[in-house]
Amino acid sequence: MAEKLLEIKNLQTHFKSDRGVVKAVDDVTITVNKGETVGVVGESGCGKSVTSLSVMRLLKDTPGKIVGGTIEFEGKDLAHLSEKEMRLIRGNDIAMIFQEPMTSLNPVYKIGRQIEEAVMLHLKYDKKQAREHAIKMLKLVGIPRAEEIVDEFPYQLSGGMRQRVMIAMAMACNPKLLIADEPTTALDVTIQAQILDLMRNLSKERGTSIMMITHDLGVVAEMCDRVVVMYAGKVVEEADVFTIFENPKHPYTEGLLNSVPKLGQKIKRLESIPGNVPTPGNMPQGCKFAPRCGKVMDICTKQDPELKMIDKDHTCRCWLYQESGVLEV
Amino acid sequence: MLRYFLNRLIGIIPILFFVSIFIFLFVHMIPGDPARLVAGQDASLADVKAVERELGLDKPLTTQYVHFVTNIIQGDLGVSLKTKRPVFDEIAKRFMPTFWLTVWSMGWAVIFGLLIGVISATKRNKWQDYVGMFGAVSGISLPSFWLGLMLIQLFSVNLGWLPTGGLDSWKSYILPSITLGAGVAAVIARFSRSSLMDVLKEDYIRTGRAKGLKENKVVWGHALKNSMIPVVTMTGLQFGFLLGGSIVIETVFSWPGLGRLLIDSVAFRDYPVIQAEMLLFALEFILINLIVDLLYGVLNPQIRYD
Repeated sequence: MAEKLLEIKNLQTHFKSDRGVVKAVDDVTITVNKGETVGVVGESGCGKSVTSLSVMRLLKDTPGKIVGGTIEFEGKDLAHLSEKEMRLIRGNDIAMIFQEPMTSLNPVYKIGRQIEEAVMLHLKYDKKQAREHAIKMLKLVGIPRAEEIVDEFPYQLSGGMRQRVMIAMAMACNPKLLIADEPTTALDVTIQAQILDLMRNLSKERGTSIMMITHDLGVVAEMCDRVVVMYAGKVVEEADVFTIFENPKHPYTEGLLNSVPKLGQKIKRLESIPGNVPTPGNMPQGCKFAPRCGKVMDICTKQDPELKMIDKDHTCRCWLYQESGVLEV
Repeated sequence: MLRYFLNRLIGIIPILFFVSIFIFLFVHMIPGDPARLVAGQDASLADVKAVERELGLDKPLTTQYVHFVTNIIQGDLGVSLKTKRPVFDEIAKRFMPTFWLTVWSMGWAVIFGLLIGVISATKRNKWQDYVGMFGAVSGISLPSFWLGLMLIQLFSVNLGWLPTGGLDSWKSYILPSITLGAGVAAVIARFSRSSLMDVLKEDYIRTGRAKGLKENKVVWGHALKNSMIPVVTMTGLQFGFLLGGSIVIETVFSWPGLGRLLIDSVAFRDYPVIQAEMLLFALEFILINLIVDLLYGVLNPQIRYD
């Protein structure tokens, strides 16, 4: 049995708005084992980013608040740590990279300084050591002329280079967990592949676990050991990456997979899931996916299904599999 | 960078030339006859004409303007019609009090304005924000003469701690600079609050927090510098206005500064003094704009001067 690093249990993160409470994350359970890469997949607005921000406790300045559940990380419950204790973990044990490399670096400070900051804070390096470490990290993420780039400003670098800098910054303190929130979405396809390679190699070399937030199933297939599929703030299916691609159970997962073209398969028209993700103020009764589901039954629109274990290491939240005599998670 | 600076300095000359034309025309458009004022109310028409001739006011405007400009180029600002002393000395004597009053006022306006702005932005919609913005709105809307008189009443008359006016020691700077700085501090507070609130929504602020930085470090280290461009622009303008001397404040505190010199000169139609002061204000604004432009480059490395 693999050793657990991060265990999110029944997490609920709600946003207060003028029109009432929005349940952005509503009962999410995700486990990340040591050295493992877990993909969190779903459409925009399914709560995957909010989940990652909840783990980092970066919901300040948003109306969001963790209202239930636990986030266990190395025996500590991140959901209930003080801000001060949390600061020792952020950037140190858990680092994060974001979707927007163009705007995620501070435009007025040199690259080096932005990396050194975290290093001096967590590893207690002095200025000179931190600078050497920053150069080493830049080299590690494949930045040419690292000695010069440390003294350059973000605007002098391309998007792909900036994402490499972000990765260098995130990996600088050798975190145990890297949360990557759509790290390649804003990049060109060729650059995407390079960045994914880089992340995979780094995580292998250093044994870093990755929680990969993405909507791109290609990225999932490329990177992940296990996949969590989210829909409307809930986990709807979880299994290892082969099972998800070969034997998806939830109609939503099937829909997602069918909407991706496959190599060597001639199809006239790509399938799509009809309808849209329900807006938070407009959540349907019962299963949140029911209005878009091709296999909808009477019960689906009345009652919300539970997340059930339907096979070894395979869970699914769907009425189709509720009574197959399997265990509750 | 140096070339840019030199180009801008050279660029000042044509600007001042055009400014001098407007100043000259506007000053001579002020109704009233300086010769009559110099000669005195009871002087005969012949005496007035004689004074006019003596001051060179009988010549055509174009001749007078050419005379004015050639003198300035030679470094001669002329002689005050009222005191008969060189205009340069008149202005030099008044410049330093106004300059130091401006520095004092701006100094504490920047410190308190920024502090209030940052606190309000980081504690938005909490009591600190409401108190800060209430203070800022008060600072903008309270008439400065009223604030000045109230301060005199309290600190000079009732408590006797500070002088009521004039310029004798450093203590004399305190009340007028507070009065003058209150409005500026209020404007700085509002500008920095709104600018900082925008910056705090940026992605790189989240990156800073994700690194594990303290919130103070995120705000003062990462956000503030990014939010300073509008604040610096506005502070520069305010600095320029204050350097011109505040007529109201200088009157309330009987301050020997440029503002009172200007109002006295206008009352006496002292053309050379008015013209020289206006030219000085123009020059001050041009220089401040130059400094502000250079500061942009310090604040944002993406702005290059070549």
